[in-house]
Amino acid sequence: MADIFDAYALADAWDEMFERPGEVRTAYEPVLAALQPIEPSELRFRADQMARAFTDRGVTYAFAGEERPWPLDLVPRILDALEWDLVQRGVGQRVRALEAYLADAYGHARAFEDGVVPWRLLLNSPHFHRAAHGVEPPGGVRIHVAGIDLVRDEAGDFRVLEDNVRVPSGVSYVIENRRAMTRIFPSLFGEQHVLPVDGYPQKLLAALRAAAPDGTQDPRVVVLTPGPNNAAYFEHALLARLMGVQLVEGHDLVCRSNRVWMRTTRGEVPVHVVYRRLDDDFLDPLHFRPDSVIGCPGIMGAAMAGNVTLANAVGNGIADDKLLYTYVPDLIRYYLAEEPILPNVESYRPEEPGQLEAVLDQIEQLVIKPVDGAGGQGIVIGPKADRDTIERTRKAVIADPRGFIAQRPVALSTSPTLAGERMAPRHIDLRPFAVNDGNDVWVLPGGLTRVALQEGNLIVNSSQGGGSKDTWVLAEGPAVRPAAPTTALPDVAPRQLGPDGTPTVVQEGAQQQ
Amino acid sequence: MTPQISTTISTQGTRRLRINHTTKVSYAQPAASSHNEVRMTPLTLPGQTTLDARVTVSPAAATWSYWDYWGTQVTGFDLMDPHADLIITASSLVETHPPGPLPVAPAWAEVTECTAVSRLLEFATSTPRTTVGAELVERAREAAAGLDPHETAVAVSSLVADRVSYLPGTTGVNTSAAEAWDQGAGVCQDIAHLTIALLRGLGLPTRYVSGYLHPEREAELHRPVAGQSHAWIEYWAGDWCGYDPTNRTRADESHVVVGRGRDYDDVTPHKGIYRGVPGGPPEVTVQFTRVA
Repeated sequence: MADIFDAYALADAWDEMFERPGEVRTAYEPVLAALQPIEPSELRFRADQMARAFTDRGVTYAFAGEERPWPLDLVPRILDALEWDLVQRGVGQRVRALEAYLADAYGHARAFEDGVVPWRLLLNSPHFHRAAHGVEPPGGVRIHVAGIDLVRDEAGDFRVLEDNVRVPSGVSYVIENRRAMTRIFPSLFGEQHVLPVDGYPQKLLAALRAAAPDGTQDPRVVVLTPGPNNAAYFEHALLARLMGVQLVEGHDLVCRSNRVWMRTTRGEVPVHVVYRRLDDDFLDPLHFRPDSVIGCPGIMGAAMAGNVTLANAVGNGIADDKLLYTYVPDLIRYYLAEEPILPNVESYRPEEPGQLEAVLDQIEQLVIKPVDGAGGQGIVIGPKADRDTIERTRKAVIADPRGFIAQRPVALSTSPTLAGERMAPRHIDLRPFAVNDGNDVWVLPGGLTRVALQEGNLIVNSSQGGGSKDTWVLAEGPAVRPAAPTTALPDVAPRQLGPDGTPTVVQEGAQQQ
Repeated sequence: MTPQISTTISTQGTRRLRINHTTKVSYAQPAASSHNEVRMTPLTLPGQTTLDARVTVSPAAATWSYWDYWGTQVTGFDLMDPHADLIITASSLVETHPPGPLPVAPAWAEVTECTAVSRLLEFATSTPRTTVGAELVERAREAAAGLDPHETAVAVSSLVADRVSYLPGTTGVNTSAAEAWDQGAGVCQDIAHLTIALLRGLGLPTRYVSGYLHPEREAELHRPVAGQSHAWIEYWAGDWCGYDPTNRTRADESHVVVGRGRDYDDVTPHKGIYRGVPGGPPEVTVQFTRVA
């Protein structure tokens, strides 16, 4: 029987679904069995329907200046219990090490005195906010939320690609992807026990409340957004709604007597924890950029005095600089006395003696990354770049060796992805989200799998035209079979029909708005 | 300070100064609210003891204070009711002593080595305000050829003071070092920024000092004299050494240190954000009275 997987040819990379052509990995057997019989035209129909549902819900992103529905591929990305155990421990370890580094850098500076990390990395970093020096956050937490980007290399091993400990975004897509998948393919979830993702908002809220200034009774948490024009506004609104807290903009807050208050129709009420989705530079015009109109003057002073907690803390940018990334394995050994569970991708530091020459000699074979680039911007993949780009990059690296790192290109693992009316291998990564409440680093099962939708492309960011996949973590042991939902494919907006009863459904109470 | 040491400090040259620093900000229209930080409290250091210091605000406001990363005492306050003007008064009583002997000059290699492996590095790196062209650094290098760090600080300060004459009103609070050089005129802030830029260019860690200078060396007791807030530099030669390039002298018992940082932005005496229409520059008066 001809099916959508027939022409599937493995690329030169680790494939998530197939061990060899035609030989599916165990974890994917039920999914393959469910997808194989579906006609290509019907798959396309379901994909279009999902896109409409996303547009309808406002789950969109900006690409090339236009709003597009969030691109979710229909084939899930599956991690078995063993793989997930490794990822979860590795991500937790990474976050603990970065927390220790931040506490050190804004405190006693032992790692610098001991020569583990050079002073210049700290002192010359534009993200070293001296206003944060000496601030001791409640519970010692500075990274309330982290997004650690992983890739799977040619041998199938997970490696860390970058750390995001400032304002990592994307978790709303994890929640929305699952919501959509349970509606489009309810039967898939009947076959395997997939760990739910809908516990995230409550875990986050608990961590934020735990981060309130000492002695606060019944702390009030708010989500601070730059406003509706921000690309991630949907996420800010969703998280506030699912946590049951206020979504505020800078002008809704006021600092009075070095404390933070929220303006309400009943007067001003105190605020104890601000989950801020604004960059440091815009947070407080008194301390940072004076031209910022989206921040709240005085909020940094209140945080320094311990009257309010900012989550994540100010100044975390020194820990997710791509140059610091190259030191994280050393930081894990230094602070935690552990071996790294998840390795880095092999990297060069052009700023170090001898390494610049090594990088320039083989620049066509390396990936060059600006240390400060976000969203995949400015990355040059040597083997795929043209002459001009290589020459431009070479000059840029010579002019500012501190501004770049170079890495071995990793052929990111591939996953079958709907391209037209058949499946084709596309490169993917994984961003697990971790929440630190001061006692424990909890990792949301799964995370955001991003797909480079163009053949051969290695950059997966949605701002660069990437897509996404629902990411499943399988529970240990035999599948727990919930009553299989019988919901047929809906012919109207699918969100109105939910497969209630499956353990993976996002709470309905929060949905209708 | 133990009694033993205090007896060894000659009381000769020791002076006691009362400083009254008033800043009046007048808004074009009443400001709806304002948030402020003030760095005007003199430090207590080996050659300087702050006996009393207070910052008061009008309209009245509760203030709080903390020590920032640079070791400066900061007073914060907010005014949440409309106000037409704001008056900040910082008064202090400070005892100052003549500086001790300079430390033995370290070799340049030692300066370089110490800088790379310590926080000194942040005082050896240029900031936007203290960036100058390579030709200018080259001129400083020629002027300092063969000199040790102390002699270099003096030579580079002279290079700057010879070029930039002290002319109030020719530059603003945001003028950079390079602009002051091109213009050939400026105030102590510009002369300090330029000297810092050049000394850093030569690899000598140098920091910006904000404080006060008593204008009359041999002032009569109890007679108030008008002065200004002042800026000078400290360079690192085994230890921090103060030098006042504007007056071509070591920082001494006439100088009162308030704060030290990479440049003016780290030690701004008054920084405020207010809601309202832009107004003119603040009126600042500083009055000194030598009381002992």
